[in-house]
This record gives sequence, C-alpha cells and structure tokens, in this order.
Amino acid sequence: MDIGQRHPKSRWLGATATFIAAAVAMIYLSYALPRFLPGDFVTAAYSGSNVTLTAEQEDSLRSLYSQDAGFGSYLVRLFTLDWGYSHAFLAPVSDLFLGALPWTLLLLGAANLISMFAGFITGVEAAWRHGTRTEKSLIAGAMVFEGIPEICTGVILLVVFSLNLQWFPAAGAETAYANGDLLTRIIDIGHHLALPLCTLVLAYLPGNFLLARNSMMLVIKAPYMVTARAKGLPPRRIRYAHAARNALLPVVTRFGLRLAFMITGALVVEKINSYPGLGTLLFNAIQSRDLPVIQAVVLFSSLIVLTVILGMEGLYRIIDPRIRHAR
Amino acid sequence: MHGKTVKDLKHNPWFLTGLSLTGFFFVLAMVGPWVAPFSPWDISFNPISPPDGKHLLGVNDGGQDILSELLYALRNTITFGLLSGCTALVSGVLTGVLSGWFGGLLDAVLMRIADILLAIPAIMILILTAAVFRPSPAFLALILASITWPTISKAIRAQTLTLKNSLHVKAAFQMGAGSWYIIRHHLLPEMFPLYLIGFAAKIRMAMFMEASLAFLGLFDPSRKSLGMMISYALNYYYLDIWWNWLMPPILCLSLVIMAITFLAISLEDVLDPRLREAVMEKTP
Repeated sequence: MDIGQRHPKSRWLGATATFIAAAVAMIYLSYALPRFLPGDFVTAAYSGSNVTLTAEQEDSLRSLYSQDAGFGSYLVRLFTLDWGYSHAFLAPVSDLFLGALPWTLLLLGAANLISMFAGFITGVEAAWRHGTRTEKSLIAGAMVFEGIPEICTGVILLVVFSLNLQWFPAAGAETAYANGDLLTRIIDIGHHLALPLCTLVLAYLPGNFLLARNSMMLVIKAPYMVTARAKGLPPRRIRYAHAARNALLPVVTRFGLRLAFMITGALVVEKINSYPGLGTLLFNAIQSRDLPVIQAVVLFSSLIVLTVILGMEGLYRIIDPRIRHAR
Repeated sequence: MHGKTVKDLKHNPWFLTGLSLTGFFFVLAMVGPWVAPFSPWDISFNPISPPDGKHLLGVNDGGQDILSELLYALRNTITFGLLSGCTALVSGVLTGVLSGWFGGLLDAVLMRIADILLAIPAIMILILTAAVFRPSPAFLALILASITWPTISKAIRAQTLTLKNSLHVKAAFQMGAGSWYIIRHHLLPEMFPLYLIGFAAKIRMAMFMEASLAFLGLFDPSRKSLGMMISYALNYYYLDIWWNWLMPPILCLSLVIMAITFLAISLEDVLDPRLREAVMEKTP
C-alpha cells in the first residue's frame, strides 16, 4: 500500500481522512438513494410488503422520505438517534438497532478473537516447521475450509448438532423467561452462542492461518533471524519475540480490509441460527421491506466497521516500533 | 509467463484439482438449460416428493423439479461471478497501470478513491441498492465490481512502479517509445500472472456475495439461485429432505467456491515473486 511508504504522521492523517471520507460517503448514500426513486416511493416499497399501513402511517413515512430538509438536518437526526419508526416491528428503529447490536458484537468479537489468536499461533508454528507433513496437512485443511462458505458450514452444523443430535439450541441467544443466577445465564448464553460461533471461527480461521503462515515465511529468512540464532537464543524466544512479532504486522493491516467482507458471512450466519443480532434484524426488515430499519442497520454497521478499521490503524502504530520511533 | 512457472503449475495438485473442478462446473453451467430435464419454473409436479426415476432429486415445495432448479441456479451464480470478476479486473488493471505510469494528480485521485472504497463494506452498499431499487442481478454485479476493483488496482500499480524502473522499459523509453506503446507492449503483457490472481479472488468473492444476497432474499424470487434454494429448503428441515433438497445446493456452492479458492491460492503461491523466493530459499 502506498500509504505505508510515506511519513508515519502523514500516514495516520491520511488514514483518518480516508475513513472520514468513507463515512461521509456512506451517510450521503443512505440519505440520497431513496430520493432518486421516481414516483411514490412509499406505496411502491410497501406494496410488496406484508405490512399494511394506515393512511396516517403512510403520511408519516412520506414526510420522512420526501421532506425537503437538507443533508444537514439528516445528520442532526442521525446523531440524536431519531431514525424513524418501524411499522413492521412496531418499535422505534433506534431501539431495534441498539437491542440487536450487543449480540452481533459478542458473536463477531468472540469469533474474531478466537480465530485470530488460533490462526496466528498455528500459522507461526506451521511456517516454523516448513516442509514437514504437519505443515502440509495444516495447509491442506486450511485451503479446504477456506473454500466452504459460511452458508454451507452454518447449515450443516445446524442440521447435525441442533436438529438431529439436539446438543445445541436452534435459535435465539438465551432461554426466554429463564430466571437463574448470573452463572447459569452466562452458561446459557454460551450454549446458544456455540453454533454460530463455531461456524464463523471455521470461516475466519483458515484465512488468518494462511496469512500468518505466509508472512512468517517472509520473516524467517530475514538477516536478524540468523543473528538471533547465532546469539544462541532459545528457539521459542526466536520464534515469538523475534519472528512472530514482525509477522504480526501484515496480519493486523489486512484485518481491516478483511473485516469489510467478513460482515457478509456474519449476517448470513445470524439468519441461519436465528441469532437475534443485526443480521437477523436486517433479514426480517428485508422480508417486510421495512426501509427505515434496513437503512439504519446498513449505515450504522458500516460506520462501526469504519471505526474498527481506523482503530486497527492505531494499533498498528503501537505494535510497529519503526513507526513509533520515527519522529 | 515463463516455462518454469507453467511447469510448476502443472505439478501443483491444488491447481490441478481447482482447474478440473472449475472446468466441470463451468461446462455444467453453460449446458445447464439444455440438459435440465424440466423447466425450473414448471410448478405442475407433486410438491415435496422424494426422488424417483423421473425427478432425480425430487420436487420442492413449489412443485418444481429440484435438479432443473439446481442447474439454472449454478448458471446464475457463475454468470454473476464472471460478470463481476471481469469488470473488476478490467477497471482495476486500467486504473492501476494508468496511476502507476503517469503518477501525479491522476495517481493521487485514483488511489484516494481506492482507499475509501476499500474501507466500505461492499455487502452494505449492495443491500441498500437492492432494497431500494430492486435492480437486476447484472446491475448488482457491476455495483459489486465498482467497489472491489481497488485491491487489483493497488497490486497492478505497485508492479507498474517496479517495472517503470526496470532496464528494458527504460531502454524502450530512451528509444522513443511513447507511453501507450510501453503500456500496451511491455506493462500489460508482463503483469499477466497478477491478472489471474486478482481475477480468481474477485470471482470467488462475487459468487460468495451472490449466494449471501440470494440467501437473505434480495433477488427476485423467481430467479433461481443456490443461496435461495438453501434458504427455502431450510424452512422444511423437519421433513426428510436434507439429502435431496438441502445438500445438493450446499455441495455445489461449496465445491465451486472451493475450486476457485484452490486456483487463487495456488496461483498466488507459484506466481507471487516475494513468496516464491522465500519458499525456494528455505527449501533445501
């Protein structure tokens, strides 16, 4: 990437500017797209829906979309959480969004932490054992799993472990109306989380593994590795303190880019397991053509992704001492 | 490509598996409408009946032949992938070469746009467009391509910058070759391996997106798609349909995406110079 070759300070400024521009572009698209529609948008959009609107509700929707208030007042509404009312779910859009968000964050966060950690360790160890049977079979396994999309693993895991073996619940994030102490609740949430989490880890792990292994392969031949060996350092110290630390950099920089695409899998997996996060909310909103909810989920999950990518850019500065000390 | 690279590829089991699987599914998708036993929109059969001699994979809930549905769905998924992949490849290569060769303001503007697009989750733009306008699949494939070209563009641009300083390009320039001549005769042909890597990666992503969008119900319900078949079949999980209705689209989708993944990864292993050097030096 070209931004890597410039001065670190301008790299940071450039990244921030890029993400602000991307955020503004997303907000503007979400503001402008419905306005490009010809004719009576509200009637057209809700004609295929299973929601019947009263005249009053139609008027309120029409005023939401056809008001001539400019981009500025749209921004104000966004920041005051005034995102309209969902006639399909009979609740304010912001309540729906904020209710679903924690579950998605839990699922995606856990899946990414586990698959990044496990993928990195296995990648480093595989590269270290380059040319052995272990490495080859790990790579073969990773390539096969990298080729199976989340839809397929998700459905297979659901059919086998939930519908046939009945080990895990098929839907939801926790047992409804269950009142137990905190520990039972945590176990219950984990029990519901297991299947979607496994699906996502199976989807993310191979990519992390291959990336870590490849970047480790490049690091292993660096001159400082010879120095470390010549100094007689213990192998694990060479592997992790000297090699893996540098192999981590590409894994972190690529994470942001991959996140923008990983979201797709998460949406699908939530729907398969009926996990009550943003993906399921979005699916239900699409089914009932509930545009305010679709818009809110699309816009705010994109903004969250952008924030995470920018955060990774900051993390990159911390773990790469070359950037920190280049003042 | 050099003869050695071709030989490396010929002996790479991943590449060969990927290539033969891709070829198989491509042919199947192209001849699909002619070998399908029934029209996939014919709803005159007995709904949810198990496979028999007439319907090799049985009949779905709408009274449609599942095998015919599968063949049309495969065709739609692969066409979507090819269309989006080709468009992303062409725009990525053009923008990459132009901004690498000419530099300056053009480079600055194009790469800034590329950075912005890289950060935006493509699926969100697709969902928003699909939900508001309900456009044709081809239009969505083009929208997807318009968001995914930057990765190809960046790789091509970096390689163009390297080639720009290589001796033969400098020599051609000294002998009075113009920019277009150098781009057409030196830069574009020499970067061929990069096109293959980028193309495979984009097709893979586009097919994955198509399946996900169809699964989420964003396409016209009468358009056959692997994702939509999985989504409908999942509604009847409690019946004994998983092996004749649920499994076939899952297997097809997995195998197609797996085949392209094998191609993408093995091409990158063999053709990416940095990685190849590292591997070669380490191997005794």
